[in-house]
Amino acid sequence: MTPESMAVDMADTYSPCDALPAPLRSQVIDQIVHQGQLALHCTSADQRPMLEHFKTQQGYDFLVDVTAIDHLGMDRTERFEVVYVLRRTRENSHQFRLHVWLSEDSPNLPTVFDLWDSARWGERETHDMFGIVFDGNPDLRRLLMPEDYPGFPLLKDYPLRGMGERRQFPNVVPRGDQIVEEEPGDYPTSIGRGMHTPEYTEEVRRDSKPR
Amino acid sequence: MTPNQDNPARDTPVPSAKTLEKELKQGWKSHQEGVRPSQVTEIEDEDGSGRLVMNFGPQHPATHGTLRSIFTLEGETIVEADVEIGFLHTGFEKLGENMTYQQWVTVSDRMNYLSAINNNVGYSVAVEQLLGIDVPPRCAALRVIMCELSRIADHILCVGLQGMDLGAFSVMLWAFEKRELVYDIIEAVCGARLTTSWTRVGGIMRDVPEFFPDLVYSFLDEFPPLIDEIHLMLLNNRIFVDRVTDIGVLTEDQARSWGISGPIGRASGLDADVRRDQPYLGYDQYDFKVPVQTEGDSFARYMQRMEEIEQSLEIIRQAMATLPSGPVVHDDFKTSLPTKDAVHNDMESLIHHFKLVMLGHGIKPSAGSSIYSATEAPCGELGFFIASDGSDTAYRLRIRPPSFYNYAIFPRLVEGGMISDAVAVLSSFHVIAGELDR
Repeated sequence: MTPESMAVDMADTYSPCDALPAPLRSQVIDQIVHQGQLALHCTSADQRPMLEHFKTQQGYDFLVDVTAIDHLGMDRTERFEVVYVLRRTRENSHQFRLHVWLSEDSPNLPTVFDLWDSARWGERETHDMFGIVFDGNPDLRRLLMPEDYPGFPLLKDYPLRGMGERRQFPNVVPRGDQIVEEEPGDYPTSIGRGMHTPEYTEEVRRDSKPR
Repeated sequence: MTPNQDNPARDTPVPSAKTLEKELKQGWKSHQEGVRPSQVTEIEDEDGSGRLVMNFGPQHPATHGTLRSIFTLEGETIVEADVEIGFLHTGFEKLGENMTYQQWVTVSDRMNYLSAINNNVGYSVAVEQLLGIDVPPRCAALRVIMCELSRIADHILCVGLQGMDLGAFSVMLWAFEKRELVYDIIEAVCGARLTTSWTRVGGIMRDVPEFFPDLVYSFLDEFPPLIDEIHLMLLNNRIFVDRVTDIGVLTEDQARSWGISGPIGRASGLDADVRRDQPYLGYDQYDFKVPVQTEGDSFARYMQRMEEIEQSLEIIRQAMATLPSGPVVHDDFKTSLPTKDAVHNDMESLIHHFKLVMLGHGIKPSAGSSIYSATEAPCGELGFFIASDGSDTAYRLRIRPPSFYNYAIFPRLVEGGMISDAVAVLSSFHVIAGELDR
C-alpha cells in the first residue's frame, strides 16, 4: 500500500453493495450504517455467491473474522446471524460486515475456506460455540471445547453455569482422618446479573425494551 | 538394546507410541506383582512405518503457554503436525454477555497478560465507538503512551524468549531487566503490574501521578541502548542466526489469506497496521513509520519486532512532547464513570456513579446496534464485535484475538522441518495462550 493510494479516501457513503450485479443486489435485505460502519444483511442462500463476488471481483482479500449471534427469544425471523468481517488490504483498507441470516431448522452454510484460509478456524470456532455446520469445511472438530463435549456454550439457552458437566467430577475433600467424596455444590459467583436461564431469556429478552 | 540391523542409518530403533504404552502397562503390572521388569530387548515398530507420534506440550518449556502440538515424526523430521488449543478456555465471550460493560474491563486483562493495557484500551475503544463518544485529548494521549509502552514490553519479551529458546539466555535476562522499567511506570499509573484494568468506558481510572513524565523520560533515556545491545548479541551469534534464517517462511499471500496480522504479517510483507489504516485515539497525529520486511522467516520476525520498538519509542516521544492537560474522563456521566474525587465530594457525581454501577442502570447502547472495532495490539489486530440489545450488558461480545488466527497456520509452517525448527518458529510467533483460548 503506497501513501498515494492511502490518500484515496473512501467516502462514508461508499457501499460495496452498489457494485454487486443486479440479481445479487436485489437479494440484499438490509443495509445498516452505525457509527460509519456498514453492515449488509442477506439470507443463507445468497451467502456464497456474495462472498465469492466480494473476494474475486471487489478485492476484499482479508477475511478478518467469522462469528455468529444467537437471537433466541428475540423477535426476529431467523434465529442465527452469521457475521463475516471483510477488508481490503491492497488499494485501501475499506471494511464492512456481511450478516447472514440462518434458520434454526437447518443451521447449515456453505464453507468459504477455499476463498480465505482464515475461515478454516473461524468457521471451526463458530461451529464449536454455536453448532452451526459449515458444509465442506474439512476440519470441523471441536476447537476450544473438549472433543467429547456435548453442548454449544454460546447458545442463549446454554446456562452460564454449564449443564452439569462439573458434576462428573466429585469434590474430594478431607474430613478428619478420612478423605471423602462430596457432591459438588453451587459455587459462588461475583457476577451480579444472575443466570442465563431460559426464563431469563423469556422475560427479559423478548420485550426488547431496556429494563 | 540391540541395534536395528535392517536400518543401518538408525542405531536405535524408534518405538511407536502404542508400543511404549504397552510396555509401560506391562512394566507397571510387573511392578505390582513384585517382579522386577526385565530389560527391554527389542522395540518393534507396530505399523512398520517407522513413525513416532509425539506430543509437544501442553507442558513444555518452549511452548511458553498451554499449547499442545501433535507431531508425527520420521526420525527428527515432522511429517505431519496438528495443534490442539482450548486448555485455557474460560468463556470470556459468555461472561461478556452476563457482565455490564464496565465490569468486563477486568476480564480483558486476562487475555494477553503480557500487555494487558492494550486489551483494556481495545475494549474501551470498541464500547466508546458503539456509543459514539470521544474521549478527551489527554485521555487519548495517555492511552497511546501506555499502549506503546506495553507494546515495547511485549516485543522485548518476545525477542528475549526467542533468544532463550535458541540458546542465548542472556538476551532474556537483559530484556527482563529493561522491561521492568515499563512495569514500574504501569505500577505507578494504575497500582497493578499485570492485571491492570486501567481504562474505563469513556476514560481511564484516574489521572497519572505528577512524576509520570519523569518516569517516562528516564525510560526513554535508559531503554534505547538495549536495542543495540540485543542486536550486537544476537546478530553476532552464529547459532541464533543460522537457526532462524529461512525457518518457517510465511509468504505474503499466505499471510493475507490466513488472516495473519501484526508483526508476523508485516514481517512477510503484508503492509497493514490498524494504527495507520483506521486511526483511533488520534494515532494519525503522530508521525511514525510502519516497518515491513519481505523475507517472512523467523529472522524477519525478529527484525520486525526490533524495528517496531523503535517506532513505538518515537510515538512516545511525540506524545509526551504534546501531552495536553485537562480531564481524563468523558464529560457525559450518563456513559462514563465520574472520578473518585468527584464521587466523594460532589452530590451529582455520586448519583451518576450510583446509577452507572447499580445493575440495570448502566451504560445502554441503542438496541440493535453493532460494531466491529479493531485496535493494534502487540500480537496483531485485536478486534471486538459487540452487538447490543439496548440493555446494560452486551447481547454478543466477540473477541477477535490476534493469536488465534496467527496460530492457525503454525502446523503448516513446521511440517517438513525438524523439531528444533518448530521451537524456532513458535517462539517467533509469540502466541499467548490466554488470548488464544479466551
